[in-house]
Amino acid sequence: MTAVIEVKNLTKKYGDLMAVDHVTYNVEEGEIFGLLGPNGAGKTTTILMLIGLIPPTEGTAIVNGADIIKEPLQARRNVGLLPEGAGFYENLNARQNLSFYAELAEVPLNVAKERIEKLLNLVGLSDKKGVKVGAYSRGMKQRLGIAQSLVRDPKILILDEPTQGIDPEGTRDFRELIRMLSKEKGMTIIFTTHVLYEINKLCDRVAIMKNGTIAGLGTIPELRKQVDATEGEDFEQVFLRYQGVV
Amino acid sequence: MAGLFTMAKKEFLDIIGEKKFLLIFATLLIVVLVSTFEGGISYSSSQSSTTSITTGNATRPGGGGGFGEFGSAQSLSRSLSSMITNFSLVGGVLAIAISFDTINNERQKGSLKTLLSYPIYRDSIVYGKYLGGLIAVALVAVITFLAGMGVFISVTGLALTMDTVIRLLIFFGVTIVYMAIFLAIGLLLSIVLPLPSTSLLAAMIVWLASIQLIPNIGYLIGQILYPVRFSVTNGRPSFATQAGFTTIRAIISGLSPSTAYENIVNSILTTSQLQFSSGSPTVISVNVTTALMTSLPSLIYFVGLLIAIFAASYVIFTRQEIR
Repeated sequence: MTAVIEVKNLTKKYGDLMAVDHVTYNVEEGEIFGLLGPNGAGKTTTILMLIGLIPPTEGTAIVNGADIIKEPLQARRNVGLLPEGAGFYENLNARQNLSFYAELAEVPLNVAKERIEKLLNLVGLSDKKGVKVGAYSRGMKQRLGIAQSLVRDPKILILDEPTQGIDPEGTRDFRELIRMLSKEKGMTIIFTTHVLYEINKLCDRVAIMKNGTIAGLGTIPELRKQVDATEGEDFEQVFLRYQGVV
Repeated sequence: MAGLFTMAKKEFLDIIGEKKFLLIFATLLIVVLVSTFEGGISYSSSQSSTTSITTGNATRPGGGGGFGEFGSAQSLSRSLSSMITNFSLVGGVLAIAISFDTINNERQKGSLKTLLSYPIYRDSIVYGKYLGGLIAVALVAVITFLAGMGVFISVTGLALTMDTVIRLLIFFGVTIVYMAIFLAIGLLLSIVLPLPSTSLLAAMIVWLASIQLIPNIGYLIGQILYPVRFSVTNGRPSFATQAGFTTIRAIISGLSPSTAYENIVNSILTTSQLQFSSGSPTVISVNVTTALMTSLPSLIYFVGLLIAIFAASYVIFTRQEIR
């Protein structure tokens, strides 16, 4: 396995606040990697630095072999992002929104057309593809966001709180989609969440964040072992131990 | 530049599909058509009531016509003055309405993060959005200008000489630059201010400062530094402005894009000037080159202002953190 993302001492400071504090980890090719932590732990800031939207105060990361500071464009060339609270052009319908993003990613027109239809079908929006996004519910927008992140057929998919606002059925569909993308396409997937169930069900490895630092890193059994969790303890208790709550 | 034309195309289509754009465009078109119609009638009546005596390249007023109506060129500038004012007022509002939420609206909707996650430089976004707005503004200017001139020519029967066409083309070009300045002001405010409502308010204040506040400040400072002299001669009171007052007022007022625009366009459209020699007024022809040279400082300021505002927008946006 080769690392497609190498995070090296990544740090972000806002005045006296250390949002991300010298974080170091690797994400291997084809892995489903979870960034778990409470609100304000530094998950989103880490992701925004990886994608080049926020410059790090210190440290760097190598994404797809490209340094995020020296070659930001190259670093995000094969990365799909679903940001937290992703918005769309509400005067356009789902297909038009995706066509715009496909054009930005320089996807050939005929390829884009076919891919957009497949993606809309995949996220369950085929029957609403002609409806303006302004009329979409939050869950539908989130589904469209997932389709958007896949429209350029990325090697790495970064999802920030992807199931936020999605109903239980949609959440289940999302999990199936992530598994399929990882298994069939070999896609590397990083996602942030504070839903422990999702982490338990999906992730190959997890980084637990606390106050901008990595409090724990490894597979679920490894994480349990690191805090000497008993068999009777569920993952919620393990997580709370990492947060220093219990 | 990757993504530039995709951004520009989308921005242009978004703008022309907006109701606010269509509403302001319609307003501009109506006021320009009405003002050029009125200007055309005024031009025709001034032409019929003015008799001129031509001496070489100078024309001497023979009576009848009002002050300054001494031939087609001078009348052209005066007759189109309402059109110039309308472009100055409504054109500025239209440009602001297009651009005041260019970036902060994307930020507020959450689409800016998505946009910037694509392999395109931030330059492409700022250039593309500006280009899309500029094309929309240019389209408005072309349609309004052609319609206005069509009405003017059909009312006056004005023969379009090469000289007139060149002056009108410069007028058109300067109008585009003027609207581009307000477009850049809106863009800058949309980058600097987080909320569209705040940037709209700030843009309207800038517009108001341009059309009203800066010229008033120029007048006020001129009055403070060079007060009007009051004197009584032969029992009659008289007021005299000092030369310094006119200079100071012109310099400060000229900082306003609206005043600078009106000064440049009036200068370009004026092809004859009144000159007093041996006590009698004489009209001197002003060719295009002379008119351009006269307005050169304002033109340089005008283009410099556009470049400075756009450069500031670019620098701030490319260094901004997108959270």
